[in-house]
Amino acid sequence: MDVREKLNILADAAKYDVSCSSSGSNRSTPKGGLGNGCQAGICHTWASDGRCVSLLKVLLSNACKYDCAYCVNRRSNDIPRATFTPKEIIDLTLEFYRRNYIEGLFLSSAVIGTPDYTMELLVKVAKDLRTMHRFGGYIHIKSIPGASPRLLHEAGLYADRSSVNIEIPSDKSLQYLAPEKNHESIYRPMNYLAERKLEYNAGGNFSRYSPRFLPAGQSTQMIVGASGETDFQILTLSNGFYRQQQMKRVYFSGYIPINADKRLPVITTKPPLVREHRLYQADWLMRFYKFNYDEILDEQHPNLDLELDPKIGWALRHPEFFPIDLQTADYEMILRVPGIGVKSARLIVSGRRFGKIRLEQLKKMGVVLKRAKYFIYHPDTPASLRRLYPEMVRPLLVQQSTPEQLDLFATAPTLTLPPLTSPSLTSTPSN
Amino acid sequence: MSLSIQYDSTFDGFLSVVFEVYRQRLNVGEIKPDRLDTQALDLFFQPFWVETNLDSARRLKRAIVNAASEEVLNLLEVAFRSETSGIEMNILSYLRKLFAGIDPNYGKNPTSDEMLPLFQTAQAVRREAGGMLGMVRFTKLEDGTYFSEIEPKYDILPLMISHFRGRFANERWAIYDSLRNYGMYFDGCGIMEISIPDVKSVTAGLPPDAITQMWKDFYRTIAIKERENPRLLRRCLPVRYWKHLPEREVGPASWQETGWINPSAGHVRGALTS
Repeated sequence: MDVREKLNILADAAKYDVSCSSSGSNRSTPKGGLGNGCQAGICHTWASDGRCVSLLKVLLSNACKYDCAYCVNRRSNDIPRATFTPKEIIDLTLEFYRRNYIEGLFLSSAVIGTPDYTMELLVKVAKDLRTMHRFGGYIHIKSIPGASPRLLHEAGLYADRSSVNIEIPSDKSLQYLAPEKNHESIYRPMNYLAERKLEYNAGGNFSRYSPRFLPAGQSTQMIVGASGETDFQILTLSNGFYRQQQMKRVYFSGYIPINADKRLPVITTKPPLVREHRLYQADWLMRFYKFNYDEILDEQHPNLDLELDPKIGWALRHPEFFPIDLQTADYEMILRVPGIGVKSARLIVSGRRFGKIRLEQLKKMGVVLKRAKYFIYHPDTPASLRRLYPEMVRPLLVQQSTPEQLDLFATAPTLTLPPLTSPSLTSTPSN
Repeated sequence: MSLSIQYDSTFDGFLSVVFEVYRQRLNVGEIKPDRLDTQALDLFFQPFWVETNLDSARRLKRAIVNAASEEVLNLLEVAFRSETSGIEMNILSYLRKLFAGIDPNYGKNPTSDEMLPLFQTAQAVRREAGGMLGMVRFTKLEDGTYFSEIEPKYDILPLMISHFRGRFANERWAIYDSLRNYGMYFDGCGIMEISIPDVKSVTAGLPPDAITQMWKDFYRTIAIKERENPRLLRRCLPVRYWKHLPEREVGPASWQETGWINPSAGHVRGALTS
């Protein structure tokens, strides 16, 4: 089997892993070497589903010994199997990198033989790239649950980011769907790496020669919609990851039915893309908008509203805070206004020192007034609008189904033209 | 009669114009870069040429840094790179307010009427420059040089160079802006500006690259059919960039795939001709 065939099989097997970010590491180009890290991350292209592609995301092997119900690579599936040699991956990474196709490598693997054997191969790829080829680009390595601490530690020295996927948000469902896995075995490598990273960063005083341990931290991923967890449970779990394991990102992947299995939703289920989108919005609120997970949802509201984004949801449940005066409100409060993002909030805060912020200026700044106008007031707001009535505002904000543009050449049966050769057309001139 | 001032299209040239406007108290009607090359006689403006003077440009830069800040000077230069028509007059009116000295804090206010449009233009330019860092695609030439052709909307090549210089410090590479017909070549130690009369000839006749083919395969493989979203794709990766991306070469096959062709319209046209 040649490299091209292997790449097709192993890239296909890796595509359901959501994580593809290349941010968080500012490794500089090694002397005489190739490549560096870019703190903000760089997207190199976008897949046809609109996901950013920045890493060469492949599996080392898809010949898995486990049989997890939700996974495309489970051993009971009849699919072509392939395994890369470390050299093949390294050459591919370097050649892609030199042509500026990618930002680095995302290497994962199915478990072949033992977890230690698999992890050793992954570490070898990263080590050879860094030491033999002096590669400074981004490397993301999966930690294999059950691998020995020595190997995890070595991976942390060469990789920029590592991840273990939690897969299913609750332990019970995970053990039901993936009999060989449980949450405990997944938390162990996560916690180990988080502790080592804390140790390496403990000195605080960095020189560019001090060794780095996973500069871009850890991430994880969970499947949404394969088992019955509520959004509140999911957000509680991801909040725990951000607080305790110091995760950089928690990814959600709406379940796409790839395997027919009686334990899973039927194979014709549509992936819950809107729910996934709302979860990411909630995730953003926690990471950039200083929201607490229990503000976004609580026991009474265990699921996110699919019609409205979670920021509006929070604002409508708390009419006592709104509308706010942009001239005097805190930065944190301005951030909580639906339609105002980090950029606009900063602009408002720095601009209001020099004069009043009026409607006109908000428009020029690019604030989405369609949503924001109900939650703010400014010198031009009439006195009657200086209160928020959630029950009146909600229907105005729920997106109406967009009116459809009628198609001039629609193929509806009523609009089809009679064939040109029809007798009625040819006979008319003679009359 | 007010003047139509022409200059050599560089930022230093523009600063020299502003300097002369102040020094000679010129009555400015419009400022035009010479790249527009319009010979049409204007009834309302008198043509006037300002020669670039690096010394006066330097003096003006210092004045801007003193009155506002280093960041503002940088922002003005980035906004200038947008090459939007009339950007010169916008910058001039900002500088006039700045140097009038009525409000000592004017330079720090990002939301003033003159600053906000410049701020947003600069944001758009920086955004494109940042996005383009990932969308440069190098082709390996026979002698091992990596060559790339780009056609950005704004003149962003100089903003991108330091990134590639750091990343590919031990390679030889060139990036060529074929819209503006200039490029930058890095020979392993320094950057040189290049100008190639026929860009297509550089990559013409190269044998097909197996790596590029694998990249195309990879790109095709990772698409998840259930999640396809052509609108999102076009928002993230505007169609105008596809021309130089091997994985998204524009051709009839890919039009079909991304929904460029309205299937119902195509159907009707077919029905009429048959």
